[in-house]
Amino acid sequence: MSLREALAKAFRKLYCTLDSIGCSMREAATSLIEQELMEEEHVFALITTSLFSGMPSPPTDIVLRLLPHMEREIALMTRKSEEFDDVFSQTLARFDI
Amino acid sequence: MPSRMFFFMGKGGVGKTTVASAFAVGSARSGKRTLVVSIDPAHNLGDALDVELSGEPIMVERGLWAMEVDLERAISSYLEDCSARMKNTYRHLMVLNLDRYFDLIKKSPGIEEYALLEVIKELSKVEDYDYIVVDTPPTGITIRVFSMPEISLIWANGLLEMRRRILSKRRMLENVRGPFYSEIEGKREKLPSAEEEDPITKEIMAYKEDMLRIRQFLSSKLAWVGVVTTAEELAYAETKRIYEALRDQNIALRAIFLNKYLQLESPPPELQGKIQEQERVFAHLREAFPRVEIFKVPLIRTSPRGTEMLYEIYSQNLHRLEALVA
Repeated sequence: MSLREALAKAFRKLYCTLDSIGCSMREAATSLIEQELMEEEHVFALITTSLFSGMPSPPTDIVLRLLPHMEREIALMTRKSEEFDDVFSQTLARFDI
Repeated sequence: MPSRMFFFMGKGGVGKTTVASAFAVGSARSGKRTLVVSIDPAHNLGDALDVELSGEPIMVERGLWAMEVDLERAISSYLEDCSARMKNTYRHLMVLNLDRYFDLIKKSPGIEEYALLEVIKELSKVEDYDYIVVDTPPTGITIRVFSMPEISLIWANGLLEMRRRILSKRRMLENVRGPFYSEIEGKREKLPSAEEEDPITKEIMAYKEDMLRIRQFLSSKLAWVGVVTTAEELAYAETKRIYEALRDQNIALRAIFLNKYLQLESPPPELQGKIQEQERVFAHLREAFPRVEIFKVPLIRTSPRGTEMLYEIYSQNLHRLEALVA
């Protein structure tokens, strides 16, 4: 193998290594943003549906105006309330265990 | 041209309805097309005008219309409308039985204030009259209603910020993973990531516009606020609190009406203390509120009923108001 070929092979290997590091970093960053998005959506749903769960809530009129558009948020809260019994497994899932 | 609104505030029993309806009668006879509205849940506007009133304007005499808002019906109809929109939109209502929650919301603290603000919002859009005179509920409720736009705006801004963060993160992830979809009861829909596509953001912004508009209206010259009170020390203290509460909402207090003012030629000894107290209170008010017009409305022998008696009160004690509000 000539020096040129050896160098090309080394650079290709370096590129692959860097690319896979980049991929996993991108994946980690994307997962983090996904987690943040999920939590933001949960908090938004919790606050805007808190009228029905006994928590301090925004003014009733804004909640009632938003309700017809919040089918997904109500479904989210319903699912969360069903998963309350299994908070432990949710937490473990967050750490990929 | 939107109607000018005149709010008469005060504790229960001070004579708000009498003073408000006297002003309404006087304005109508001065040539202003006037609607007098009671939004006090304990209505007695019909008693003062000696006319049977309902939730729709009724002509009392030439130039004067009157109505009593049925708050309970307004609340029920508002919630029924909301419930119907939700039933049309999705079927989770059946699972969560939100109808039962709407029955509770009708009775929840604060719902009356929201309904009152809705009524005021609707009245502020009316252009059929020169003047709309509003007989308000007791002070505590009215102050809370006036402060609601500010509180609602704080919440709306907070929710808008949260929603914008959600949409921003969705956009970031869409660049990597493609569009988000939600699937509910077999229905698959793309989740919005731009403000223009998101119905929740649009609703919050529309709500914010509504609150900004009503807040601006209440601070403008189109809304005039007067307090009806009595010339007593406790009432004076309350008037000061009302003034400060209104000032916090950027609403100007324009006039104070000292109702049931004793004006006796030969007062008996047992009333001397009262008369001295009312003079003191009048002097305190003049000093504390130099830019607020103060009217003395004397105690009359019989409770006024009907437009003639109310006009007499207006012509003898309140006619000066016409020049002030013009």
